[in-house]
Amino acid sequence: MLIWVRHMSDKTDVWQGTLALMILKTLEALGPLHGYGIARRIEQTSANHLVVNYGTLYPALLKLEQEGYIASDWGVSDHNRKAKFYRLTRAGRRQVEREIRDWERTTEILARFLAPRRQS
Amino acid sequence: MMRRVRALVLRAAALVRGGRTDAEFAAELDSHLQLHISDNLRAGMTPDAARRAALVRLGGVTQTREAYRDRERLAGLDTVRQDLGYAIRVLRQNPGFTTAAILTLALGIGANTAIFSIVNAVLLRPLPFPDPDRLVMIFATNATTGNITDVASHPDYLDWARAAAFERAGALVSRNVTIDHHGEAEYLSALRMSASLFDTLGVQPALGRGFRPEEEQPGAPKVVILTDAFWNSHFGGDAGVLGRTLRIDEDEYTVVGVAPPTFRAGIRAQEQLYLPLVVDPNRNHGFLQVVARLRRESTIGQARAELGVIAAQLAAAYPRSNANVGANLMPLVDAMAVHVRTALFVLLGVVGVVLLIACTNVASLMLARGTARRRELAVRAALGAGRLRLIRQLLTESVLLASLGGAAGFAVGSWLTHGLASLLAHNLRPATIPRIETAGIDGRVLAFTVLVSLLTGIIFGVAPALASASPDLNRMLRDDSRSTTPHRAPLLRRSLVVLEIALALMLLAGAGVLLKSFVALRTAPRGFESDHVLAVDLWLPQPRFAALADRSRFYGDALSRLRATPGVVSAGFVADLPLNGGSDSLAFHIVGRPDPTPTQSFQAGFNIASADYFRTMRIPVRSGRVFTDDDRPESPGVVVINETAARQFWPNDWPIGHQIALPLDRDQPEAHERGSGNTNPNDTTFTVIGVVGDVRDIRLSSPARPEVYLDSIQAELPWPWAVLAVRSVGNPELLAGTVRDCVRSADANVPLLRFTSMDDVVSKSVAEPRIYAILLGGFAALALLLAAIGLYGLVSYAVSQRTHEIGVRVALGAARREILGLLLAQGLRLALVGTAIGILGAVALTRVLVSLVNGVQPNDPVAFASVSILLIGVALAATYLPARRAARVDPVVALRCE
Repeated sequence: MLIWVRHMSDKTDVWQGTLALMILKTLEALGPLHGYGIARRIEQTSANHLVVNYGTLYPALLKLEQEGYIASDWGVSDHNRKAKFYRLTRAGRRQVEREIRDWERTTEILARFLAPRRQS
Repeated sequence: MMRRVRALVLRAAALVRGGRTDAEFAAELDSHLQLHISDNLRAGMTPDAARRAALVRLGGVTQTREAYRDRERLAGLDTVRQDLGYAIRVLRQNPGFTTAAILTLALGIGANTAIFSIVNAVLLRPLPFPDPDRLVMIFATNATTGNITDVASHPDYLDWARAAAFERAGALVSRNVTIDHHGEAEYLSALRMSASLFDTLGVQPALGRGFRPEEEQPGAPKVVILTDAFWNSHFGGDAGVLGRTLRIDEDEYTVVGVAPPTFRAGIRAQEQLYLPLVVDPNRNHGFLQVVARLRRESTIGQARAELGVIAAQLAAAYPRSNANVGANLMPLVDAMAVHVRTALFVLLGVVGVVLLIACTNVASLMLARGTARRRELAVRAALGAGRLRLIRQLLTESVLLASLGGAAGFAVGSWLTHGLASLLAHNLRPATIPRIETAGIDGRVLAFTVLVSLLTGIIFGVAPALASASPDLNRMLRDDSRSTTPHRAPLLRRSLVVLEIALALMLLAGAGVLLKSFVALRTAPRGFESDHVLAVDLWLPQPRFAALADRSRFYGDALSRLRATPGVVSAGFVADLPLNGGSDSLAFHIVGRPDPTPTQSFQAGFNIASADYFRTMRIPVRSGRVFTDDDRPESPGVVVINETAARQFWPNDWPIGHQIALPLDRDQPEAHERGSGNTNPNDTTFTVIGVVGDVRDIRLSSPARPEVYLDSIQAELPWPWAVLAVRSVGNPELLAGTVRDCVRSADANVPLLRFTSMDDVVSKSVAEPRIYAILLGGFAALALLLAAIGLYGLVSYAVSQRTHEIGVRVALGAARREILGLLLAQGLRLALVGTAIGILGAVALTRVLVSLVNGVQPNDPVAFASVSILLIGVALAATYLPARRAARVDPVVALRCE
């Protein structure tokens, strides 16, 4: 179960937010990748705890592209198939750093709350 | 934040781009699936299983595609685009309806645009001076006459200007002058202004300088500043005009400056020259308009309070002149238009009502079409369109229609503006509506039109949209127009028509009342006969005509020549022509009677007339006699008074033979407006020898004032202007040349200024009520037409709905006449209800009109009754046409068709 604190509002909003971060982090770690690859990688990284339709990725990718964090180009995959590749832009890189910092701060604060209970 | 904006912009752009990116995404999805399938194949699945697994994991192509598209565009706007496209198609499919609606709206919106652009130019646009909201005008108020926009005296102006709230103040007064330009005399409007006026307004002369304070002193060197127009027309725009001289009122004035091209200070007439104000220490003599500029930190309220204190101090210090005098402060932009504000706002209200009627018409049309489209709407509802979606669709159509109507209306309005502005300006000359020549289309007018169009669309769209968007699906999808129960048009449509009729009646009543008052004014007893009379304005240049002997000789000479001219019935001189604003008021004493109060003498208007004047103007002699050639300068002084004077000063007596005494001060006739106690041995006595009929001297709607006529050959009052009235046998204007010759023979250098026929003078005096009656009448006629169209439409609709029922009736034996009667009765009922409601509105409107035009009788039963009859007549006609069609219905056809 994912614990989130950022938006105390719609679950979909939050989910979209975390998905966006996951996409960005994946691109940061692996470099340019096509949509299918990103989806596969997210699935793997979450050790298959996340079971989500691959289709939900594309609107998220579009949003990130509209906001300017990623850019897209058509290219060729390893098995010589045509695919649209996404890569992180400079703004995207900065965004990843920022969001990671926010998450770490959030989890740290929450840890303080949860830790004493566990102790007792 | 910026990221979100960027996203928004891209999404908006995608809206326009439309389907081109669809193809790209389809390719991307396809490639995604291919990659997944190959992975599955490599993992060992069969091709079918691989494909199925990939599709399942994708989560549905359609959903994905839709989610993508939603994110790609702005979903909300996308539906708007759909609605808009649909609306355009619908409108195009019904050209008749669309044209009718657009025309109606164009007329309504256009009229509003036109009037608003005039209101904008005259009342709303800031004055073209720096910091115009700090400019105010200060009027004097007179507690006895109740006038709150009175002119001020020079000493009062100076005292008011000292208020701490003001940064600066200036004063001006309009004066007519004669100039001598290349031998030709010209009579122009000029403005005398204080040296501080330009600074107060923040105006820099285009050439040269403004006036200096020392030039306001009597005896100072005579200087003049030209207006830009005058500079161009009389000096050819010569840059070397400074230092040249201009002959004004028989004196040489040096040109020291030229005003900037856009500057215009005169309110009532267009000035051509500026002269310095001459200091006048007489607190009794009110003649100035005062303008002041507030300090940055002061408010109008503060200024008003300060002026109140100053006025009270002046009243205490100078009771004789200032006892009832106060100060009234108003922002300059309002003060300039104070005489037309109400009129313009009433006009705006009137065209608003016309637009409302137009909206009601279009709403009615839309309701009718809504009924016709109910099947289409029912199908859409059945297919899943929510009520809100249907309403939004219908509103989109309304707004689109209104926008098209607004665009057309804008064109109509701009054309109408120029026409209206020049109509108003031309008809009200020489009084003007300030800045009306600048009326035109600007940003504010455009914004107004857009706003009005949108509001219009919503107003006429809401009701039909709500009514049509909730169809009873079951009933609508079945075909049930074969119902034989008599059904009437829906309540909403009927109410709309009643509303239209009521509004139209209101406007008609207003127009009727105005028209009646205008006619009454035109036919009111004037006290003189204006046909066949030529009026010639003369200027008797001082000091040549300062002596009474010189004047008398001139008058006598000119008159004897004129009398000898064929074609001239009679001729006479007078100082103040009727309908010219009235003679100056002077104080006098009645011999043998004490003054009414210790500080005030009797007051009456004093005019000067020659012997034949009364006969020329056909002013009746009520008793006694008028001046004759036997009254010589040396004879005892004689005066003729009018009936009002006789009634007022000798109510129970015979005025003939009584004497009055006039303190004649040759230097300052104006000083005697308030009087100074009882008869002074230096006063000249005059005997009353006759009483003549009252003449309307100020304007036709004002009652006559007491008036005293002095004989022109005895009057010691040095008024330098005179009017020659000549009664001719034929067309008075043809005599102009002859008259000029006769006068020139008497004296070669007397400037003859203006030739008008007396009929024109009378006509001009009713110009204002006439123009308002015309305008209101025009709009009322438009309103009536629109209401008639609305009623016609309603009855036509009712007829078409009831064709079946009528067919049945006829088949069962009803006479055509009965059918006709049935429908006419329905129409009449609507008209009567509308009329009754409209009368209420009419009462309110006419009350407003009373403040607008003099002489209007509110709640005039004759006017109300006549317009009601007119309206009902038109309504019956509008009902009759479609009703006649109904009566002709062939029962066989009606029963067969649906």
